[in-house]
Amino acid sequence: MQALIFLLPFLFIYVLFTIWPMIKGVEMSFYKWTLIRKIEYVGLQNYANMLQDSAFWSSVWHSFLFVVLTTPTMIVLAIILALVANRKSRLQKFYRSVFFLPSVLSVAVASYLGLFIFQPYTGLLNSLLHLIGLLPGNEEIFWLSETSLAWIAITLLTLWWTVGFNFILYLSAMQDIPEDIYEAARLDGASDSQIFWQITLPMLGGITRTITMLQIIASFKVFVQIYIMTGGGPLDSTRPVIQYIWQIGFRQNDLGYAAALSYMLFAILLVLSAFQYWLNNRKGE
Amino acid sequence: MKWMIRLVSMLLALVFVFPLIWMLVVSVKREGMGVTSLLDWFTPPYSLDVYGEVITQTKLTHWIWNSFFVAVCVMILTVLISAMASYAMSKIKFRFKTFMFFFILAGLLIPGEATLIPLYQVAKDVDILNSYEGLIFPVLASPFAIIILKSFFDGVPNDLIESVQIDGGGIWRVFFSIMLPLTRPALASIAILTFIGSWNNFLWPFLSVTDDNLFTLPVGIPTLMDQYTEDYVKPMVINTIASIPIIALFLIFERQIVKGISMSGIKG
Repeated sequence: MQALIFLLPFLFIYVLFTIWPMIKGVEMSFYKWTLIRKIEYVGLQNYANMLQDSAFWSSVWHSFLFVVLTTPTMIVLAIILALVANRKSRLQKFYRSVFFLPSVLSVAVASYLGLFIFQPYTGLLNSLLHLIGLLPGNEEIFWLSETSLAWIAITLLTLWWTVGFNFILYLSAMQDIPEDIYEAARLDGASDSQIFWQITLPMLGGITRTITMLQIIASFKVFVQIYIMTGGGPLDSTRPVIQYIWQIGFRQNDLGYAAALSYMLFAILLVLSAFQYWLNNRKGE
Repeated sequence: MKWMIRLVSMLLALVFVFPLIWMLVVSVKREGMGVTSLLDWFTPPYSLDVYGEVITQTKLTHWIWNSFFVAVCVMILTVLISAMASYAMSKIKFRFKTFMFFFILAGLLIPGEATLIPLYQVAKDVDILNSYEGLIFPVLASPFAIIILKSFFDGVPNDLIESVQIDGGGIWRVFFSIMLPLTRPALASIAILTFIGSWNNFLWPFLSVTDDNLFTLPVGIPTLMDQYTEDYVKPMVINTIASIPIIALFLIFERQIVKGISMSGIKG
């Protein structure tokens, strides 16, 4: 009884806003269902449409591509930044603050900074390239209107904006490595790079697995940066799956189909989690 | 070698702050100046007129307030209801406890993004679209917070609890005077991560709110931006005003924030 009183506030919210929508979604996915009301029962039609919907599957692919682009780069960059901030120097605290600072920006602010950084003619990056002579004065790079360049721009912005969290995780993991291990290695005449590859990096294995796991899921759920920087363009070539589901539901007024697509998203994320769980346990042995 | 490392370090730091410096510098330029080279941004004439204009003629400051209000409510309520539930899961015996544990654990596998469409319908059914309640309540249940807090509560010795009970202290007293104070670092960590999560939440406010008096920052900012891509001054003023409070908070609470994040990694 006492337990119930303590559990009740959480359970009420949890059931109403997490469990119930999960069930409600099944019903919705069997109907033609608009923003206004339920229209008619369509059986498995929404799911059948999904299999044929090439725009949906390419949006799924774009989210995967974003995972592939951001996860390894994020980890390498986070480790480099943590190495910099872990070095004994008067600027240690300064580095820590500076590398984390972009992470506190609102997602909209970060995305618009990205948009303006990568504009042609007046954007920060092109102006900088002009100034230092890497880009001839009469040439412009159209970062956001060419698919492959757009992916680079989105990836760079995402790294800048979100690497801070992983950087902090690595930094605290590095600081947990006992100093005497390093001293012993130095006494044996190990060089800095030997120490990094044979002591620091292996000791970071655990946190790297955690970060990889969280990063893959987080990257797959990307939406806002892309929505603001490219709108999913050019020609939907950077549109991620979340944006597609949103467009189906709220732009094309088809919540039933959007609910069916959401289950596919759920299934993919579940498979990703299961895969990582398996990978983790295997490596842990 | 030493100076190389130092140089690369400085360059990296520069890359990380430069966009923010640029934002600040452009925001104090006078509007309508043709900019042909990067250096033009950094030279006069300066002007703060646009700041006045944005503050008086848009709802930006109101949206900052909304974002804070929502984030603080979400933070306090999430910590409170998660701590209560974790306490029950950790220290109170009851039937179906194992079932309850797996029922909560299952929530870790349900990403908010996958239930967004039906959540919209549910929020419509219980009539909380376009309200602060609608912004706050649907995001409060955090199985992640419960799993973390439970592991910390498990570490509180039972003797301590019994000694309070022998003195006649009830279950609430145990909760408020033993459990919460002893797990403060974990609670703070959850609070900070929840605050940041709410501050950056885009999708749910974006779908559930259409009244611009209820916009949070991430939803409101794009509505101001659309018209102004030609001249960067106004967008950068908007970005700067939106960032000042959160950067100030970061500088004040940096130590706690760093600790909070490190802790999430250990348990993650």
